[in-house]
Amino acid sequence: MIGRIFKEGLWTNHPIFRQLLGMCPTLAVTTTVLNGISMGLAVIFVLFFSSLVVSLLRKVVPHQVRIAVYTIIIATFVTIVDIFLKANFPQISKALGPYVPLIIVNCIILGRCEAFASKNRLSLALLDALVMGGGFFWGLVTLASVREILGQGTILGYKILPPSFNPLIVMVLPPGAFLVLGTLVAIMNRLERIK
Amino acid sequence: MKDSLKYNLRVIFVLTFISLICGFILSFVFNSAKAKIKENQKKDIYRAIYQIVDDCKNVEEKSINEETIYWLFNDKGELIGYAYLSQGQGYQGKIKILFAIDKSMERLLGIEIIENVETPGLGSRINEESFKSQFKNLKTNVPVECVKFFPQKKNQIQAITSATISSRAVVGILNKGIQNLKSLIEENDR
Amino acid sequence: MKELVLIFISTVLINNFVLTYFLGICPFLGVSGRLSSAIGMGFSVIFVMTFASSIVWLIYHLILVKLNLVFLEYIVFILVIASLVQIVEMFVRKYSPSLYQALGIYLPLITTNCAILGCALFMVARNYNFLEAVVYGFSAGLGFTVVLLVMAGIREDLNYCEVPKVFRGAPITLITAGLLALCFMGFSGLIRA
Repeated sequence: MIGRIFKEGLWTNHPIFRQLLGMCPTLAVTTTVLNGISMGLAVIFVLFFSSLVVSLLRKVVPHQVRIAVYTIIIATFVTIVDIFLKANFPQISKALGPYVPLIIVNCIILGRCEAFASKNRLSLALLDALVMGGGFFWGLVTLASVREILGQGTILGYKILPPSFNPLIVMVLPPGAFLVLGTLVAIMNRLERIK
Repeated sequence: MKDSLKYNLRVIFVLTFISLICGFILSFVFNSAKAKIKENQKKDIYRAIYQIVDDCKNVEEKSINEETIYWLFNDKGELIGYAYLSQGQGYQGKIKILFAIDKSMERLLGIEIIENVETPGLGSRINEESFKSQFKNLKTNVPVECVKFFPQKKNQIQAITSATISSRAVVGILNKGIQNLKSLIEENDR
Repeated sequence: MKELVLIFISTVLINNFVLTYFLGICPFLGVSGRLSSAIGMGFSVIFVMTFASSIVWLIYHLILVKLNLVFLEYIVFILVIASLVQIVEMFVRKYSPSLYQALGIYLPLITTNCAILGCALFMVARNYNFLEAVVYGFSAGLGFTVVLLVMAGIREDLNYCEVPKVFRGAPITLITAGLLALCFMGFSGLIRA
């Protein structure tokens, strides 16, 4: 069970590249690796604590209103993250902008709460949250790295490509996001078939 | 019949209970962080003011018509000018500009970009000194204009290449801000 | 009046919800496969977004701001949107079964559509008045629909092309969306600031 959780969250059932969930923040904030890391951590936080509460309450919540209840819980944790960022990391809060509250409708979190946390005991639910969150995190960082290196020639602000390299600005613009993600999913498909 | 009533009551109870708890948690978190959030916003503005106006040694905030205006004083306590935060839509998102005018309200002392999410490498170059310094000492009685090539007339500044929209947005937001600031101060003096 | 037209044009073409702000991608990828489903989804989204904008505006300005409860905005917005979608679905099912047939399955999906929450948040951040908020909601939905229809048309044609195996499905859709986004960038010069 535990092994399966790890394998699925990080590879075979990858939230971005396989399940194609949570695209909105993935495409929007991966303009720099720093933003990707911040968003990844925020999602892990929300996913972890929402799964915790949902799993603890799973025998108590009436079936009819479970989605509404999960949504309230998720929205609460997202607001906490948003307030935390605004108070302690205002630069990151401004960079991530409206995509922090949009974590609420990130299908990954609601999806995991519904598909896993509501049906499993606490320890498994927490593990699944961390692993799925981790999968989302490395997906974000990969996409962000490609976009930042090709689009600005830097990683985390450090120039790693020579000045003679003319950055492909389109990479940090919306079209670039779509193109890079599409290519990455195709690569993942290829790797899956090699296996 | 009775079971369905019990079920519905349980539904309402759970929903209300959870909503209340969440509401309480949030108001607690918000109240503890409220002060810090306001302070962060202030820090940016004050830093910008001191950057634009060298002789400014003291800043006082006044609220007119629910808007904040910053009164700028030098080390002798004399009024040297006013500063105001203006914002509007840029190319990718909101742009917030802090600008200062001298006490006669006829000369623009300079601008600073407080917040922007423009395209990195293009629109975000509005934050560069070479762009911002064009605004120093412009007149405020006629609108500032943004042109693509060499400025021909007074009160014209040159847009950044490939960032015309961001540059024009800055000028638009600035002009609107100057008008607002002037009318607010006139209202205050009345 | 000019303001409203500007909001309309900029939201539909220039700052398109899907291609610029990446809102509504999930249904965009899922539903754009066929023109018929795209039309259904598009109409429901326009309907719900216009409604949602107006109601969220009222709740924000008349309740949250007056009572100083703005930090509850996320919870309140998402609950309002979810309930609204629920009510709209019940309403449509009861009073217009034919409309329900056309839109039905897509309505619940709209709740998790980031576009609606995004629309509500943007509208509040830009301080629109009521009329501007309604126009904004309508234009956002229309922008979403326009792009959805274009994508559906392209994807239906793609079915007859020989797409390399690894690109079939999501990858080619994403790349097509990227090219579409590139084209839409051309609209950004449409309005002089």
